[in-house]
Amino acid sequence: MAMPRKGAVVAAIKKLNRHYGRNDEDCFDLTGFSKSEVLAKTLSLSLHALTAAALILPGLLHQTAQAAADDDEIDFQYSHYQEGKRDQGQATRPFNDGTKDVNLKLPSYRNPIEVEGVRGSARISLTDRVKFAFNYIQDTWSGATPLATAPEHSLKVNQLGNDQNGNPIIVSRATPELTYLDSKNRPYYFNDQGTLLKDKYLHILSYASPETRKQGDFKLTYNWDQAALDIGGGISVENDYESRFANIGGRLDFNQKQTTANAGVSYTNSEINANVNFGGIELLNATRQDWASQIGLTQVINQNAILNLGIGYTRSTGYQANPYKAAVFYYKRNDPYDPSYADYIIGNKVRSEGFTVLEQRPDVRNQWNWSLRWLQYIKPLDAALHFNYSFNLDDWGINAHTFEADWVQPLGKGWTITPRIRYYSQESASFYQPTFVAGGKYDPLNYPYILDKLPNYFSSDQRLSGYGTLSGGISVSKEFAKGIRLDTGIEYYTHQGALKLGGGGEADFADFDSWVANASLKVNLSSVGHGLVHGDSAHGNQHRHPNIPAGVLFGHTLEKAGDVMAGYRYMHGWQAGHFMQGDSNVNEQQILNNSCPGSVRFDEVQQQLYFDGPCTSLPQSMSMNMHMLDLMYAPTDWLTLMLMPQFVDMQMDMYTPDSATTLGHSSHGGGGSHSGHTTQSGGIGDTGMYALVKLFDNSQHHVHITFGLSAPTGDVGIKLKGGIEDLHGPANVDGAYTHYGMQLGSGTWDLKPSLTYTGAFNDWNWGAQVAGTKRLENSNSSGYALGDIFETSLWGGYDLTHWLSTTLRVAYSWQGAIKNHYPYGRKDYVAPDCKQSDYIRADDNNGDGIPDSAAYFHQSEFSSCQIFISTYRRRIDSLDRPSPMDFPQNYGGHYVDVGFGIAATIPDGAFAGHRFAFEWLQPVYTDVNGYQLDRDGALSATWSYGF
Amino acid sequence: MALSKPFISLSFCLTLLCLVACATVQPWERGNLAKPQMALDPYPLQSALRAHNYGSREVAAGSNAAQGGGCGCY
Repeated sequence: MAMPRKGAVVAAIKKLNRHYGRNDEDCFDLTGFSKSEVLAKTLSLSLHALTAAALILPGLLHQTAQAAADDDEIDFQYSHYQEGKRDQGQATRPFNDGTKDVNLKLPSYRNPIEVEGVRGSARISLTDRVKFAFNYIQDTWSGATPLATAPEHSLKVNQLGNDQNGNPIIVSRATPELTYLDSKNRPYYFNDQGTLLKDKYLHILSYASPETRKQGDFKLTYNWDQAALDIGGGISVENDYESRFANIGGRLDFNQKQTTANAGVSYTNSEINANVNFGGIELLNATRQDWASQIGLTQVINQNAILNLGIGYTRSTGYQANPYKAAVFYYKRNDPYDPSYADYIIGNKVRSEGFTVLEQRPDVRNQWNWSLRWLQYIKPLDAALHFNYSFNLDDWGINAHTFEADWVQPLGKGWTITPRIRYYSQESASFYQPTFVAGGKYDPLNYPYILDKLPNYFSSDQRLSGYGTLSGGISVSKEFAKGIRLDTGIEYYTHQGALKLGGGGEADFADFDSWVANASLKVNLSSVGHGLVHGDSAHGNQHRHPNIPAGVLFGHTLEKAGDVMAGYRYMHGWQAGHFMQGDSNVNEQQILNNSCPGSVRFDEVQQQLYFDGPCTSLPQSMSMNMHMLDLMYAPTDWLTLMLMPQFVDMQMDMYTPDSATTLGHSSHGGGGSHSGHTTQSGGIGDTGMYALVKLFDNSQHHVHITFGLSAPTGDVGIKLKGGIEDLHGPANVDGAYTHYGMQLGSGTWDLKPSLTYTGAFNDWNWGAQVAGTKRLENSNSSGYALGDIFETSLWGGYDLTHWLSTTLRVAYSWQGAIKNHYPYGRKDYVAPDCKQSDYIRADDNNGDGIPDSAAYFHQSEFSSCQIFISTYRRRIDSLDRPSPMDFPQNYGGHYVDVGFGIAATIPDGAFAGHRFAFEWLQPVYTDVNGYQLDRDGALSATWSYGF
Repeated sequence: MALSKPFISLSFCLTLLCLVACATVQPWERGNLAKPQMALDPYPLQSALRAHNYGSREVAAGSNAAQGGGCGCY
C-alpha cells in the first residue's frame, strides 16, 4: 500500500466521517492505525456490501462494473484460457489392404479451445456521492470443442491418404453409424476376431474458426451515508449471440454498520442467430430471457471475522440449448417383422443404427442459490482466510455444491500472495445421456424403419452430466509506489466424472483440463496524486506541453528521472469501397481474374484442371482495432524506457461474387472456408520495448531518438475451420491459414528506430518524425515475413485554450510486400511424396508370377506419380487461397494521409491531469502493391496520465 | 427443493443469532476488518474472469447465457 500524502489522509477521514454521520472528534481513534490502514478502512467498509451482492450470482448481477469502492481507478487485464487436448481414442483395426493392423491415432493438429481476453475498466467519482464505472471486455476464442458423443467404434473413420510408411492418416471420427446395444443400452463392437466387445464413448470434436465477443457495460451508483443505490446495464455482441442487460441494486447499512443488507434484480435479453450445420446450413433464430434476483446480508461477527450470506433466484425462459451441440440417437433393429431380424440379434445385443439431432432443452429453468462466505483474519500472520460455500438447485435436476478457500497473505513491501483451491460437484440434468435410444418399427414401404417420437428434451452436452471439478491456483500481487498495482494469477482446472460428490459421475471420456493465466494493471487515481502530464502542464508551463497528434507514437520523452506515465492508445482502421491496383480503381471482374494467380479452374468441356482460374472470394470490408498500453519510466533525465503491450482484433467480411461460383471450384463445404462470411481474429499482439534518448532539449526545441525492438508475441499460426470436404476430410477440422492480414503479429523480431523533433513557441507547436520497421528475420514460424515499413510525419498545432489544442498532420508511409508465404499445399498432412524405391521392380507382362526382366526403375510411372502429387497439392494450395488477401504480393504500398487532431488536458475536477487526444487520419493518396481494397481512414485515440 | 427451507431458516437464524449475540464491534476496533486482505473480494477483476470461465463450463455457476451476455458456446 502506498503511503498517502497527509492531505489525502485528512480528506479520507472527513469522507469516512460523513459516511458515519459523525464529527471529526468522536468518530475515529487513529492511534494504532497506520495512515494506509485508515485509507483502507474507508475503502473496505463500503466495499463489502456491494461486492457481496454481486458475488452470489456472478453472471447475472454483473459485479463486473463495481461502482462500490471509493477510489477512482483504471484497470487493464489480459487473460489466456487454454484447454488440454481431449481423448480422441485409438483403435486397432485392419486397414484398407487388410494385410496389417494399424493403430489409428487421431491427428494432433486439432488444437483445443483457447480464449484470449482483454478488459479495460474505469471507476470515477463524478461527485462525492455519485460514482460511475464502466467496462469493456473482449474475448476471442477458437479451437475444437465437443459436438456430440457416440460409441468410439460406431464412428466412421475418415481417412486422408497414407503417410510415408503406408499407415493411414486419419483426420477424424465423425458420423455415428453402427453399434450393438445390450438390454441396458450399453454399446458393443465387433473386433477383428468377430467377438463382441464393450465399446467406450468418445466425443465428436468440431473445430471452430476464431470468433470475437465484445461487451460494454456501466454502473452508476449514488451513495448516501448509510445506503447506496446503483443502476447498470450493458450489451454483449457476438456474430451469433447478442445480449442486452440491465440491473438495479441497493445497499443499506445499519446496526452501526455492523450489518449490511443488499438486494438486486437483473434482466438479460439474448438473441441467438446461429448457423447450424448438419448436412446443410440452416439459420437458427431464437431468443432467451433471464431474470435474476438476490438478497444478501453481511455481518461483522467480531474484530476478526465477517459473515456473508446470500440467496438468489433466477428464472430463464426461451431458447436455452446450445445451438452447436447435438445428440446421437440409435434405433435398435429388433423388430420381429424385419426379415433380417435374426442376423441383427446377437445374444442380448442388437444391431443399432445411429443418427444425429440438435439437442433440445426445456424452455424454462428456475434456479435457486444459497451462499455462505466466512472471512477470518489470522492475526499472527496478518493474513485472511476466505471460505465460501454455495449450493445451487434447479428444476432440471441439477444440484451443485461449490467449496472454495482463499488464503490472502501480505508479505510486506507491497507483495501479496493468495493461494486458492476450489471444488465443484454437480448432479446430471434429468434429460442428459451420452447417447439416446429411439424406438423404431420395421416398415418395408419406407426405408427401413419408422422412428417413434423422440423424447421432449435431450442433451449430451457434458456440462449437463454429473461430474466434479477441482481447481487450484495462485495470485501474486505487487503494489508499486504511486498507486500502481500489478496482479497476476494462474489457475489449473480439472473436470472429471470421477470427482463427482458421492460418485456416479460420467465416464472418463468427458474428462478435460485447462489452465488460465491473467495479468492486470491497476492505476489508483486517488493515490497517484495530481497528474503531471507531459512536462509539468499542471504547473502552468503550458508552452512546454508537447502537443503530439494522437496517431504519432514515441512523440515525447518524460521530463526527469523518476517520472512514470501510463497511457492507453486505441487505433481503429477501416478498409472498404473500391478495389485498387496501384493507384487506380479496378472493377470486380479485373480483380477476380488477376489477383489470385495460379488458382485452380476445372474445365467442364475438357474435364481437366487448369491453374489459370480466378479468385473465388473477395473482401467487402475489413476493420482492425488495436489496444495498446504505454508504460513509461525515466530512470535518468535523458533516458525514457517504454513498454508497449498490444491487443488486436480484426474482422473481415467476405463475399463470393456470382461470377466466381460458376468457375471451377465453388466454395466447398460452405460452413467454414474463407468465402461468403465473416472472418475474425483477436488476441495479444506483438510487444514493443523502446528506449527514448534525449539528444537536445531546451525550452523551444526538443529532439530524441528511439531504439525499439518488437517481440513476436502475437500469434501468426491462426487457421480457419476446414471446409473442403472432398480433399481434407470433414469440415470440422482446422484447415487453411487465415489471411496474412488477419494474423495477430509479425511473427518476427522487428527493429523499430525513430527520430523525433518537436518545437513550441507561445501557443504554437510543431514537430516532425521519421520512423522505420525492419524485420530481422526472413520468415516467421508460418513461413513468411511482413514487409519493412518507413513512415514520416510533419505536423503543426495550436493551443486554443490552456487545456484544448488542435493539430494538423501530413503523413507519408511505405510498406513492402510480404516476403515468402505460408507452407505450400498443407504438406504436413496431405498426400505423400512419390518414393523412387516403389518404382524399382521387375516386369511380369504375362502375369505368370515369373519376372520377365531384372528389376529396374520405372521412370515414366514415377514421373506420372510426381505430376499427380504435384497437381494434387497445387489444387489444395489453390483452394486454401481463395481471395486476394491470401497472396503475399497483394500487401503493402505507398500512402499519404492528412490527420486532423484535437487534444484536451483536463484542468480540474474528477479528471484533472488526464490528457485525451483524438486524431482522424484521412487517406489522400494510395498506391497499393498488387490488388487491394481501398482505405477508408483511421481513428486514433489516446489517454495518458503522468505521475 | 427439499433442502431449501431448512437452509433459509438456518441462514437467517444464524444471522439473527449474530445480531443478538455478537459483541458490538466499535468502528475503532475494526482495524483488522478494514485491511485489504479482508475485503470480501480482494481481486474483483480476477474473480470476474474466473466466474466467467466457470460459468461457461459449469451449469450451476451461472447459466451459460447470463455471463453479462455471451453465449459461452464452446
